[in-house]
Amino acid sequence: MNELRQLSKDLLQNGTVKVIIGYAEGTTPGRTKPFIARTPEDTDKFVFNKHCVNNLAVYLTRKEYKGKGTVGIVAKGCDVKAIVQLVQENQINKDDIYIIGMNCNGAAADFGKDTLAVKCIHCTVRTPHLYHTLLGTIDEMPKQEDDHLKMIEKFDAMTSEEKWAFWEAEFEKCVKCYACRQTCPMCYCEKCIADKSMPRWIESSAHTRGNFAWNIIRAFHLSGRCIGCNECERACPAQIPLSLLNRKMGMVAKKEFDYTAGIALDNPTLVGNYNNADREDFIK
Amino acid sequence: MEEKTFEPKITAFVCNWCTYTGADLAGTSRLKYKPNIKMIRVPCTGRIDPVFIIKAFEKGADGVLISGCHPGDCHYNTGNFHARRRWVLFTELLNYMGIDSSRLFFSWVSASEGKKFVDVVSNVIETVKAKGPFQQYQKINKEFVLDE
Amino acid sequence: MEEKIISYSNLVSLTGDLIKTGCMVICEDKNGTGWKRIENPDEIKINHKEIPSNISYKEFVFPKTEPVFYFKSKKEDYDLIEKNAQPGKIVFLGAKPCDSRSVEIMSKVFNWDYKDEFFNEKAERTIVIGTACNYKDEFCFCTTVNIDPASEKGSDLFLIPLDENTYALKIVTGKGKEFIQPYLKYLSDGNPAKSQEALAKIKGPDKKFEPSKVREWIGNNFEHKLFDNIGSTCVGCGQCAFACPVCHCFDIVDEECSYECGRRMKNWDACQFGLFTLHSSGHNPRENQNKRYRQRIAHKFKYYTDKFDEILCTGCGRCSRGCPVQIDIAQVAGEINLVANQV
Repeated sequence: MNELRQLSKDLLQNGTVKVIIGYAEGTTPGRTKPFIARTPEDTDKFVFNKHCVNNLAVYLTRKEYKGKGTVGIVAKGCDVKAIVQLVQENQINKDDIYIIGMNCNGAAADFGKDTLAVKCIHCTVRTPHLYHTLLGTIDEMPKQEDDHLKMIEKFDAMTSEEKWAFWEAEFEKCVKCYACRQTCPMCYCEKCIADKSMPRWIESSAHTRGNFAWNIIRAFHLSGRCIGCNECERACPAQIPLSLLNRKMGMVAKKEFDYTAGIALDNPTLVGNYNNADREDFIK
Repeated sequence: MEEKTFEPKITAFVCNWCTYTGADLAGTSRLKYKPNIKMIRVPCTGRIDPVFIIKAFEKGADGVLISGCHPGDCHYNTGNFHARRRWVLFTELLNYMGIDSSRLFFSWVSASEGKKFVDVVSNVIETVKAKGPFQQYQKINKEFVLDE
Repeated sequence: MEEKIISYSNLVSLTGDLIKTGCMVICEDKNGTGWKRIENPDEIKINHKEIPSNISYKEFVFPKTEPVFYFKSKKEDYDLIEKNAQPGKIVFLGAKPCDSRSVEIMSKVFNWDYKDEFFNEKAERTIVIGTACNYKDEFCFCTTVNIDPASEKGSDLFLIPLDENTYALKIVTGKGKEFIQPYLKYLSDGNPAKSQEALAKIKGPDKKFEPSKVREWIGNNFEHKLFDNIGSTCVGCGQCAFACPVCHCFDIVDEECSYECGRRMKNWDACQFGLFTLHSSGHNPRENQNKRYRQRIAHKFKYYTDKFDEILCTGCGRCSRGCPVQIDIAQVAGEINLVANQV
């Protein structure tokens, strides 16, 4: 932690970065919150521990940072995936960011919880795959069964009627707060399709039909782009299991097109590209 | 009393340069097909966002057909290639939602394939007729509807 | 004030009777996400010592989506049709004081320059059976905003847990007295000494800031640079507004429209949304999140108090607990208080 604070202080002092987005302590010991350090003194507030579950890449696409100097960011492997994907999609310039990569030993599923987050159980980027400086050490992380994957497989085996009944019950709870969209680093559109009113594609009312439309379209717009940080599910006040949906679409992208999001800077994007050999057996 | 048999409502999103022209050819050749289908012309299948499909189901469609140029023939060169990828992802998503993705049909129909257009449309109508009305969306469409 | 005693099992039976007579009995759901209408009296939950639910119960008096009217064309004119409300009482069972005051506080703005019939019609049918609260955590600050966890203010009937199976029942309002009349058989004589003893044990959370100071400071320092920082990490998700028992902003949209018919819907909205103050000219006076967050603090601790003599906050802490980026409203107000004291 001292390494982090010292490095951040130096970066701000010598002008390498304009601001650094990191984590500070929250209201209770089991919580941290995103914190933006603008002066070298601010960096004394930085922390890094297993409660740093937020994906800070969500701030990188904000207008206030565009073209205003280099932005430093404290990033775990999953956060770096988001950064890589954003660079792939030309939303941020890789020369405008300074990644302080953190070796990560797993994050807690949510504030006040001790269980490991779902995204950590099958993590392959405990050391981030892209960084300007790397800090921290890799320690032993307890091995855990990927129960979440089993849930998806079990869900896949359900009948059509059962699946529909499940999602109908879940989406009835949706309040259309759009917290899922706001905390997602990949939802950066200045004018979201849900906000278009001429014509109104996705109804804004929180009835089941409007909720289905919103959640289906968001899941579709994320297919092949979602990097699995699960911030959407964590933020949802109605506790809808969005990870069940988004992870499945990631698996479909892998199975059908051998594509994984957020891995290499020069990878092509999934739906922004095509292949002559793409599947078309379902087309008459 | 005559029982009213179910006539499916089909919405078709067709590309202007190939399928729409093919449908026009079917018309000028006086080929007959059932009137259950309502066509929406788009410049290219690449224009079709899956939100259109959801909107069609919300508005009461029992089946949706999407048809465009054959790969390699796209008027805009690559539009149908992009669309092709999207459809794979979207049908998987619909299945995962429990929405019957077999109510969604895709075809490549070129401007000279008037007969093929008729065949495709007739097949779609017959298939959806056999499936019956789209219960799932009909149910959620009833929320907040004013009772007569 | 009249006081009785009711056992837990009698409370269950009473609830059973209420459900049978067609009352909507609303309790916290078992996993603490929100509140729901119970069909079975065994599902009651009197939460007097656990964490508040994630979302408040305001959706039963202020629905998340609601039709305002339907319109149908007829020749050269339109018919406006309003859907009649369902009759019957809405009974909130087991509301902590930070929740029970919510209908009261919201009804000030809904009866200000325009009497909102959608809200009023439901508020009139509402009976609040509150409970004294023994819970507190780092996010609670009811006492700071003049809400007392041992007070019956805001409830029509007030439960005070005496032991595992017994509650004192205070009959607070005339509405409550009328409501409980048919169910007196479930009540026995009260024991004011015992209930006083139970209430005296309740120690609410420590005071976190002085609301009047915060209110004054905001009034004089609207452009202060403090506001450049406190909302800077907010992602504008609106969870705070939607979970809050007293946030009440709404949006009106038309749906299902054709030339023949359509409907106008009233939906929850939040000042934290980017489009909340977007004008049709394209100008947005609150164009960044800092300004939007400033609005939230100012509305809750200054503007509402200026207009209605109530703080638009019950100190339940739901917004802070649920905030994905851990912005703690009590901490923010505390920071303002600190700056105000330095002057």
